[in-house]
Amino acid sequence: MGLLANIASGLRALTGRTRVEREMDEELSGFIDASTADKHRSGMSPEQAARAARVEMGSTNAVKHRIRSAGWETAAENLWQDLRYSVRMLAKSPAFTLVAIVSLALGIGANTAIFTLINGVLLKQLPVRAPKQLVSVGKALSGGVLGGVDMGTADLYPYDFARQLEKQPGPFEGIFSYNSRLRKVGVQVGEHPSGQAAQMLLHLVSGNYFGVLGVPMFMGRSIQPSDADAPGRNAVVVVSYHYWRETMDADAAAVGKVLTINGVPCTVVGVAPAGFYGIALSTEPPELWAPLTMQAELTREPSMLDANGPYWLHLGARRAAGYSLAQQQWLNTQVRSYVLAHEGAQVTADRRKEIERIAAPLVTAASGVSSLRANFEGPLLILMGVVVLVLLVACANLANFLLAKAAAREREISTRLALGSSRTRIVRQILMEALLLSAVGGVCGLVLAWVATRALIDFVAAGAAYTSLHAAPDISVLAFTLGVSLLTGLLFGLAPALRVARSDAAPALNANARTSSASGGSRGRLLPRALVVSQVTVSVVLLAGAGLFLRSLTNLEQQSVGFNRTHLLLVNLGDKFGGIKPAQLAGFYQKALDRMNALPGVSSAAFANTAPMSHSAWTSSMQVQGYVPAPKEDRDSILERVTPGYFETAGIPIVQGRALGREDAPGGLKAVEVNLAWAEHYFPRGGAVGHQITLDDDTNAGPWTIVGVAANTRYLGPREEPQRQVYFPVQQLVPGENSYAEWLQVRTAGDPDKMTGAVRAALAQMDPSLPVLRIESMADLTDRFVANDQLISRLSSLFSALAVLLAGIGLYGVMSYSVVRRTNEIGIRIALGAQTGNVLWMVLRESLVLLGFGLALGLPLALGGLRLVQSQLYELSASDPVTLAGSILIIAAITLLAAWLPARRAARVDPMVALRCE
Amino acid sequence: MGQKSGEPQSREMVQGTLEMLILKTLALEPMHGYGVALRIEQVSAGVFRVNPGSLLPALARMERAGRVKSEWRSTENNRRAKYYGLTPAGRRALKDETVSWSRQTAAIAKILEA
Repeated sequence: MGLLANIASGLRALTGRTRVEREMDEELSGFIDASTADKHRSGMSPEQAARAARVEMGSTNAVKHRIRSAGWETAAENLWQDLRYSVRMLAKSPAFTLVAIVSLALGIGANTAIFTLINGVLLKQLPVRAPKQLVSVGKALSGGVLGGVDMGTADLYPYDFARQLEKQPGPFEGIFSYNSRLRKVGVQVGEHPSGQAAQMLLHLVSGNYFGVLGVPMFMGRSIQPSDADAPGRNAVVVVSYHYWRETMDADAAAVGKVLTINGVPCTVVGVAPAGFYGIALSTEPPELWAPLTMQAELTREPSMLDANGPYWLHLGARRAAGYSLAQQQWLNTQVRSYVLAHEGAQVTADRRKEIERIAAPLVTAASGVSSLRANFEGPLLILMGVVVLVLLVACANLANFLLAKAAAREREISTRLALGSSRTRIVRQILMEALLLSAVGGVCGLVLAWVATRALIDFVAAGAAYTSLHAAPDISVLAFTLGVSLLTGLLFGLAPALRVARSDAAPALNANARTSSASGGSRGRLLPRALVVSQVTVSVVLLAGAGLFLRSLTNLEQQSVGFNRTHLLLVNLGDKFGGIKPAQLAGFYQKALDRMNALPGVSSAAFANTAPMSHSAWTSSMQVQGYVPAPKEDRDSILERVTPGYFETAGIPIVQGRALGREDAPGGLKAVEVNLAWAEHYFPRGGAVGHQITLDDDTNAGPWTIVGVAANTRYLGPREEPQRQVYFPVQQLVPGENSYAEWLQVRTAGDPDKMTGAVRAALAQMDPSLPVLRIESMADLTDRFVANDQLISRLSSLFSALAVLLAGIGLYGVMSYSVVRRTNEIGIRIALGAQTGNVLWMVLRESLVLLGFGLALGLPLALGGLRLVQSQLYELSASDPVTLAGSILIIAAITLLAAWLPARRAARVDPMVALRCE
Repeated sequence: MGQKSGEPQSREMVQGTLEMLILKTLALEPMHGYGVALRIEQVSAGVFRVNPGSLLPALARMERAGRVKSEWRSTENNRRAKYYGLTPAGRRALKDETVSWSRQTAAIAKILEA
């Protein structure tokens, strides 16, 4: 109650100011009158009495001031006054204000944009119950199907093991599993659909996935354990909120509708909440979730649910209560005993020891597991560092400007101090000005960041139409921006405020003071110079960093990938080509290739099971004729299956022998092509052609005869070392799972992107139901491998350019200001006979000293600091001398330019004018 | 403002006691500002003279704190004056402060006599 009354009376005082003032006057005069009357009565003359009463009261204004300060409203009013005063001060110098706000908006905007991404990719927790309790078994980043390695090496697990843990989660509240990769499936609405199937991402998950995660369903129910208790059970599906809204038109009766997924009618049982993208976050989130027991039916692939099946699942768990070592040990024991049980009786002692070392580390998954995070964590953190540095440079600039303004206002401030204004009030007013600037800058920055973040997300998500990243700032982004703005304002407002706090009333009021304190005091010029030196320092570091990333990117882009990446169009077919049987494949390939070759502008076409520079999961170990392997040698090679014309189409040169071609017919000599890495490994002295190999894969064991050696191709992007590869003619493989070659590659005469429509049309004409997952040019695909590098190098160049520009403006400001302040001195020098050159040199020398200090500090910092980013660089040392020299040159040029303009102005000073001014 | 040299030291109010004295004075009846000053001076037999520069801000402060309330009334010689009176919170505060004051002075007296 007291508080409310206090606030009410404060508000009354603020609104009815004249009434309050009148009452106060009345009370005071009443007091004086009563006191006068009393004194008169006690024997003073009326004049004496009145005088005595006044003396007792003292200054009525002071008393009124003290009465007013009893309430909070006075403080608020002072603040309001300061604010209005600050606005007036800023409006008086619009150019300064504009430059300040723009540089702040850029600085804060850049910070906000990068933080929005960091927040979305690294920090945001999953929208599920108690996300902190979630853990992933291993980092769960690799996706695919594996066999023949130890469990735990790739964080992949087989179905029966996952099922065992699901039933008996031991010390965990629950253990769930999910397919290690999302599958594109053809989806049609309705039970007996007609027309083209839409390609959607499907995630296969265990029956307890939603339950253990604790996802609050938006509508209907989630997938239950009873939906996934045996292979082939139940044809149910949970759709994403996005799918429900966009494709099902936000149907209120969506639950119970049927979607036909790859020909299997599935009932929609629920809609996931908005903002739930699954535990595995990727740029393109899944639209559908189905029980993983439906794997064979929904993916049109052989079942992976058998005992001793392949490794294809990731595991996640919820900790019942806190972290304990026992949970980790229990899990390790489970993995080891599973491996041991599946090795059979003949386990050697050595092998037993090896198994005892297998571990399945628990990794916290409160924010989900994310390939996005793995890919962009490094770049984003580097960029965050860069934008913080840019903001610091902007801060130094503003501090300098405000310092100069404070110096120019020294007289005003001294006068205020002399008139009895409190020092805190003046300091507060200057801080207020700084905070006002940073607040406006922050708001502009927020808008700027929103625009910039959308562009950034487009880049990170590689143009996906539906992505889990959002540009709109959430509460933590807003809090971040507010905090950064406040901190920035304090940072650049502090120096001028402190300077004012130290200033003295007396000397500045002296008429001749300006020569002593303003221009001459070396202490007064120390801080601005220190700020400029720090700007140069930071700029050197940023420039060197940006230079390194640019050169690294150039290295990457010029790196030969072993094939001709221009004029190549890639078409990815999926869903086992819409139901074509292995036996029909030969005819299908022939028909498709004929159609492609018939298109104008196509020079050749071929099928392969992977695109160059894409991940293939087909590997096998093999026996090589005339080669004795070392014990425990890794004898795996990557296997490729291709149609005739592949090497010509992909532009992979043949080094020895011949390419695979039409002569390698189904019944003929079984021929293979090996790559150079393979040949050099097994036949270091040459002569691989003509030798035979036998696969440890029973269906296609061979023997296969090597007919040629192809050049190496980079397999997983340009950073990777070439791997051993063996190419098989797809027509010679036993018809079955391994005869599908999903990637149609088309070499074009002109721009491949312009052929997309024609290729798609030709395929649709041949078979309207052919599931085309995507069509893109090889150039786009390879660009994606250097996406991180492009992101870092482009943004860091942009930001360092910004920093250098700001530093240039800062230096220009400081030098101009110093020239203006020294006009007098320069005039005297010229009058005494100093030449234009002398004056020019005097000013330039000062800036060169600053540059020297900045370089002396910046170079060691750059050398030391940039070692942290070495891992992001490709074939480039972090202390690359060319880059360092380049950045020194740039900053030196900017410094000289920024100093040259004021120096020229100094040299043109007319001594008569300069001296008369005084 | 300051202490004139030669005037007895006792004129200076003991720190923090002004509010207590005002509360005590107002406990009898509502008064205007000058009345409070006069009364304190009279009752203390001229030892304490309350300067209006401290008294009026103190009253404003106490009003804000909810210990006194004010209203405009006409005085005995028919002028308008702002009369201050105690609120229940003010009465409680007076009681508390009196108790703690007597405890303190008793303690100080003991130390001085020891």
